[in-house]
Amino acid sequence: MKLVIDESRCKGCNLCVLVCPYKIFQEGTELNSRGIVTPVLDRPERCTNCRLQALYGRMLCGVCHMICPDQAISWVEERPFEPHKVEVEF
Amino acid sequence: MQGNAACAEGALAAGCKFFGGYPITPSTEIAETMARKLPKAGGVFISMEDELASIAAVIGAAWTGARAMTATSGPGFSLMMENIGYAAMTETPCVVVNIQRGGPSTGQPTRAAQGDMFQCRFGSHGDYSTIALTPNSVQEMFDLTVKAFDLADRFRVPTFLMSDEIVGHMRERVTIPDTVEVERSRPLAEESLPFEASADGVPGFAPFGSGRAVHVTGLTHDERGYPDTTDPAAHDRLVRRLVAKVESARRDIADYEVTNPDAETVFVTYGPPSRTVEQVMRDRPDDTIGHLRLRVVWPFPEFALHEFPNAKVFLMPELNMGQMVREVERHVDQPVVSLPKIGGELHTPAELVRALEAHR
Amino acid sequence: MIAPDWFRDDRLPHIYCTGCGNGTIINCTLAAVEEMGWKRDETIFVSGIGCSSRAPGYILTDSLHTTHGRALAFATGVKMARPDFNVVVFTGDGDLAAIGGNHFIHACRRNVDMTVVCMNNYIYGMTGGQGSPTTPPGAISSTTPYGASEPAFDLAELAVAAGANYVARWTSYHVKELTKAIAAGMQTPGLAFVEARTQCPTNYGRHNKLRTVPAMVEHLRSHAILVRKYERMVAEGVPIPEGAFTVGELVRRSRPAMGVQR
Ligand SMILES: Cc1ncc(C[n+]2csc(CCOP(=O)(O)OP(=O)(O)O)c2C)c(N)n1
Ligand code: SF4
Ligand code: SF4
Ligand code: SF4
Ligand SMILES: [Mg+2]
Repeated sequence: MKLVIDESRCKGCNLCVLVCPYKIFQEGTELNSRGIVTPVLDRPERCTNCRLQALYGRMLCGVCHMICPDQAISWVEERPFEPHKVEVEF
Repeated sequence: MQGNAACAEGALAAGCKFFGGYPITPSTEIAETMARKLPKAGGVFISMEDELASIAAVIGAAWTGARAMTATSGPGFSLMMENIGYAAMTETPCVVVNIQRGGPSTGQPTRAAQGDMFQCRFGSHGDYSTIALTPNSVQEMFDLTVKAFDLADRFRVPTFLMSDEIVGHMRERVTIPDTVEVERSRPLAEESLPFEASADGVPGFAPFGSGRAVHVTGLTHDERGYPDTTDPAAHDRLVRRLVAKVESARRDIADYEVTNPDAETVFVTYGPPSRTVEQVMRDRPDDTIGHLRLRVVWPFPEFALHEFPNAKVFLMPELNMGQMVREVERHVDQPVVSLPKIGGELHTPAELVRALEAHR
Repeated sequence: MIAPDWFRDDRLPHIYCTGCGNGTIINCTLAAVEEMGWKRDETIFVSGIGCSSRAPGYILTDSLHTTHGRALAFATGVKMARPDFNVVVFTGDGDLAAIGGNHFIHACRRNVDMTVVCMNNYIYGMTGGQGSPTTPPGAISSTTPYGASEPAFDLAELAVAAGANYVARWTSYHVKELTKAIAAGMQTPGLAFVEARTQCPTNYGRHNKLRTVPAMVEHLRSHAILVRKYERMVAEGVPIPEGAFTVGELVRRSRPAMGVQR
């Protein structure tokens, strides 16, 4: 699974930056076409849900997309599947 | 039977399934009768914490498709005004009974008046239109309550039964039919949006649970029901329609009695003053005296005034300082004489005869 | 995106300001609704007036966006007329506790079977940030420029005292706990009241030294004390930090309820 931010909805509040335990969301620096600074993703393949949702068949962690007030965070199927080398820092 | 009890019987006969109210003299017997009978008829009676809540609960229940009503008097009616505007804006069919008493403020709790006739038309802020019925007998408390539900459903407007302490507390014989025919709202067509009106200006109704996911809001909204609060055209379209759907059906909604259409002196009445006029006309049969009695006052049937082509003067006894008389004045060229009376008593026949002599 | 089937896609993005917690609370409520397995055709959202009360407009069910303060009275009518419907009310601190205070205590007393989610942002958000009955003493708002001088209401305690069968409080930071609490409330027959303390960055945070959205949420998180811990602290005589409030389940009971489907 691949983590994506819907640029048409994100308002750049950075709550995802606050809550992700892996610090995958980083405060952005550049304005997008809507004039909003959206967060950038740092190695999103580390996200628990990216890695394990398919295995467990349900949402894992998911705190970012629950707190996102603008319904901007979601996961999409990767097609074709791209295997990632994942380093998880504890 | 008492007028208020007949009103409750009318509601039950019309299939009313929800009553939310707060006690107030002189309307309380309606709530008490509903409390006794509605649960046995498979309906819900609930005593709300105030009149703001009563009308709110009634509107909520109405959106489940239930016929719903509340009953009150002046002070409670005043409290209901904001949500009456909400019902008008959201096109919620519901019935509000006002057993009028002397006002302003707490006024005369046990005395009759007709002082809320403009409040029921213009009491909430903004432009809208409503329907108001004015019974003058216990039988009409029954009949017009049934009719109020039908009109509320058909036009999707809050509809008022504007009675008063005299008729509410009067005791007379009533005939209650075994069943009454009722007319419900037209269902929302599959292909129509929730607030998309038909040719008559009234949208079909999809009560909650119909699977149409209707968003109901008091904000200015489009045909989908979505708020659109800044576009002048959207507001103009909606509010004009809300007014027009009632006003353009004036002839359809109208309900009045004409006596002696050739008369030169014409009494115009609604509610209990009509009884005194009838008394006067019985006492002194005289073809030159006419009587127009309105059972529907809003939307105002101005064309009914023209049923008296020979009229030289209109006399209007009302239990207020002169309210509906303004509406009559607006629509005729002849002189219109207001015969106001406040304090809680009906005009006596002698008073009306004096007025008759003085003005014809 | 949480509960995609329940959002009115054609109305998103919503009108809320950047970082407004209301969107989060809608997420949590819809996650709870999904957990309950409710059907959209049988679920009704009701609200009053305020930013918080705009929530039903973004949900794809029948919904009533009513007048200021009266949501609970409207909802009582809906639920009593159709006990088979699931009724959820969204309200704000002003809507619920100021103009709607009377309906609040009576709805709790009647214990009508519905779930009430109050987005308490300590302020009248929609009208531009005036002091409300939950504005903490000392806080700056446009009508308390020298600091609020009135004591504030504790909404959850008020619901407990008035008789609601389920009462809990969480914040917009505690998304998982809040979702669980809303679901627990939905399962409890009778009135379930869930207070969700939340951030209004635009009209509250800015004026109260909480300039960024994360700073506001962090403030909520750090001032929340679990009910149990709070009770222990009180028992042990440990001083309660300034501005702290309890979170967790305050009550779950089975007083007689109305409008419960038999
Ligand atoms: C009868 C009435 N009085 C006042 C208002 C103006 N008004 C709209 S929203 C609001 C305050 C809302 O505060 P709250 O319920 O806390 O909601 P929030 O916007 O903070 O979510 C007020 C006073 C109104 N709409 N109706
Ligand atoms: S689901 Fe959890 S781990 Fe994955 S990005 Fe969101 S917060 Fe981070
Ligand atoms: S929480 Fe949502 S809206 Fe806020 S910055 Fe992250 S993706 Fe954007
Ligand atoms: S004013 Fe406050 S409560 Fe209203 S949308 Fe903005 S942040 Fe949210
Ligand atoms: Mg608020």
